[in-house]
Amino acid sequence: MKLYQIVLKDIMRRKRRVLYAALGVVIGTMTVVGVLTIAFAGENRIYGQLEKYGANLTIIPAISRIDTKVGNLSLGTLSIGENYISESYLPKIREIADGEIRTALNIKDNEPISIIAPKLYVNAEVRGISLVVTGIQSQDELSIKTWWQVREGEFLKTDNQAVVGALTAELLKLKVGDGIPLNKSVLVVSGILEETGSSEDYQVMVPLATLQKAYNKEGLISSVEIRALCNACPVELIALALNQNIPGIKALAVKQIANTEMDLVQKVNRLMLSLAGITLVIGVFGVVNTMMTSVHERTRDIGIMRAVGASRWQIIQVFMYEALVIGVIGGVLGYLAGTLLAYGIGPLIFESASISYIPQFIPLSLGIAVAVAAVATVYPALRATRIRIAEAFRSL
Amino acid sequence: MLEIKNASKIYGEGSAQVVALNNVSLEAGKGGFISIMGPSGSGKSTLLSIIGGLERLSSGEVFLDGMRIDNLSEDAFVNIRRGKISYVFQQYYLLPSLTALENVTLPLTFERHSGHSERALELLKRVGLERRIHHKPGELSGGEQQRVAIARALVTAPSLILADEPTGNMDKKTGDEIMSLFNDLNQEGHTIIMVTHNPEIARHTREIVVLQDGQIVERIRCEGRGNQL
Ligand SMILES: Nc1ncnc2c1ncn2[C@@H]1O[C@H](COP(=O)(O)OP(=O)(O)O)[C@@H](O)[C@H]1O
Ligand SMILES: [Mg+2]
Repeated sequence: MKLYQIVLKDIMRRKRRVLYAALGVVIGTMTVVGVLTIAFAGENRIYGQLEKYGANLTIIPAISRIDTKVGNLSLGTLSIGENYISESYLPKIREIADGEIRTALNIKDNEPISIIAPKLYVNAEVRGISLVVTGIQSQDELSIKTWWQVREGEFLKTDNQAVVGALTAELLKLKVGDGIPLNKSVLVVSGILEETGSSEDYQVMVPLATLQKAYNKEGLISSVEIRALCNACPVELIALALNQNIPGIKALAVKQIANTEMDLVQKVNRLMLSLAGITLVIGVFGVVNTMMTSVHERTRDIGIMRAVGASRWQIIQVFMYEALVIGVIGGVLGYLAGTLLAYGIGPLIFESASISYIPQFIPLSLGIAVAVAAVATVYPALRATRIRIAEAFRSL
Repeated sequence: MLEIKNASKIYGEGSAQVVALNNVSLEAGKGGFISIMGPSGSGKSTLLSIIGGLERLSSGEVFLDGMRIDNLSEDAFVNIRRGKISYVFQQYYLLPSLTALENVTLPLTFERHSGHSERALELLKRVGLERRIHHKPGELSGGEQQRVAIARALVTAPSLILADEPTGNMDKKTGDEIMSLFNDLNQEGHTIIMVTHNPEIARHTREIVVLQDGQIVERIRCEGRGNQL
């Protein structure tokens, strides 16, 4: 017979007390696992949004504005540079973007990698209201704006069609099949988009070539969105290479936008984790309390063990084995409860974050739980070693 | 083998002081069987506690096999309990979650002799409990529990067994059975010091020490077993 076997047999006799002690551990580990699971989902949502943002890079014309002044007299603003990018740069842009990705990810074949969506913005007046008409290449644009959904009708199929943003359609009372006069030509509304909550709700999307022709802007575009189809793509490097190699443009990495949001999420996560830390400490006190009761209840048994030759260290071991059992039970239950907690309150903290259980947290949960139980048992175990045999037997 | 010199034990402080032992000297040779008698509160249990290291002396000395043991530290006394001195109590003091066999093996577990349940089994046979080895204390009668406690006291092969009213909770018949077990153990060479109220029982021992108000007032040698007091 081994010491741990004695402890296990004793635990079987005091199941309720041991479960009660495990509860203190459960509360702490539950919070930690719950918070971590939610935090994980929160960060994943940001990554998901990065994906949803579509583009990793935006290219716009490099325009510098200089306020010209002579003394105190303003002579107005002087714009240096073009308002448009030449369409002829597109192959070069693709070459640079794909080239950077190939180098970074060590890709050999020459298939196109990134999606490159050029567009042209034109201010136009439709039915007496001024709005932005966007010329797009419909396939490329849809590959980036994966969340676009056509509420009515269908997306652009032919050259003389237009797709209208949800709010514009409402504002102009446009329906599928209505005609939109655009400079010299008239386009037919082929579809109306579902509301997305961003600027395209106010726009009218038409084929790029059609818009260029209607406004005499052949070969010109206002911006290019690039989506490098990977999370690990070196968007900053691509931006740098584009800026260095193509004159008159300004390439921006969109990741920077997500970074600020990630900062916020991480702040929330840190706050939640410190709350979890406090719960852990409270859990420790709970376990200390239960363990002290347990020491008290087992005074007689401790006296018996000492009387038949147990050393003080062996009494500590008895309690540490018990802490191990409490820790393992608490760790398993804490993981389960924490995961449930995450499913329950996760959506309240990070809207639309999809919570999923994380099996890698099982060892973490067990580790925390055993550590909590062990720390909480130190003092009660030391108290138990101070029980003298004579007192233990007198206490009856 | 055991020598007590001028042992005094005072409990409490100030006006609450109780002199439980007052300058007691006593010796027991190897193979001795001493019964300690006296009225309640006369210091019998205190004397056993002093010998067994359960209580500290206020003054005096205790020697076991020539070694002074009354001033040993708590940790050093652990070794005395592992093979030199064993206790048998009136209330048996068995662990309720363990079977009879496990209770008897317990002292060996603390000595880390994990494989020695044969010896425990042998001793349970010796005390007539071979059919009860897998029973827990709650499923055993008082007499049976005391036999388990005696087997447990023997498992470390101690040179001295201290028993505090081991038959105190028993009817006469069961008490006699336990006494004859102690007698046999004494015959086999175990030194036994036993507290008892019962003269019937005391007369089975080799020497009777009578305590009163913490002092030895009488020592009676019983010439051979069966002598009348
Ligand atoms: N822990 C203690 N604290 C205070 N007084 C005690 C304690 N233990 C015993 N006593 C007192 O010491 C005296 C002797 O007690 P004890 O040795 O138990 O007597 P006995 O076993 O002969 O009945 C009694 O007066 C008792 O009240
Ligand atoms: Mg007594």
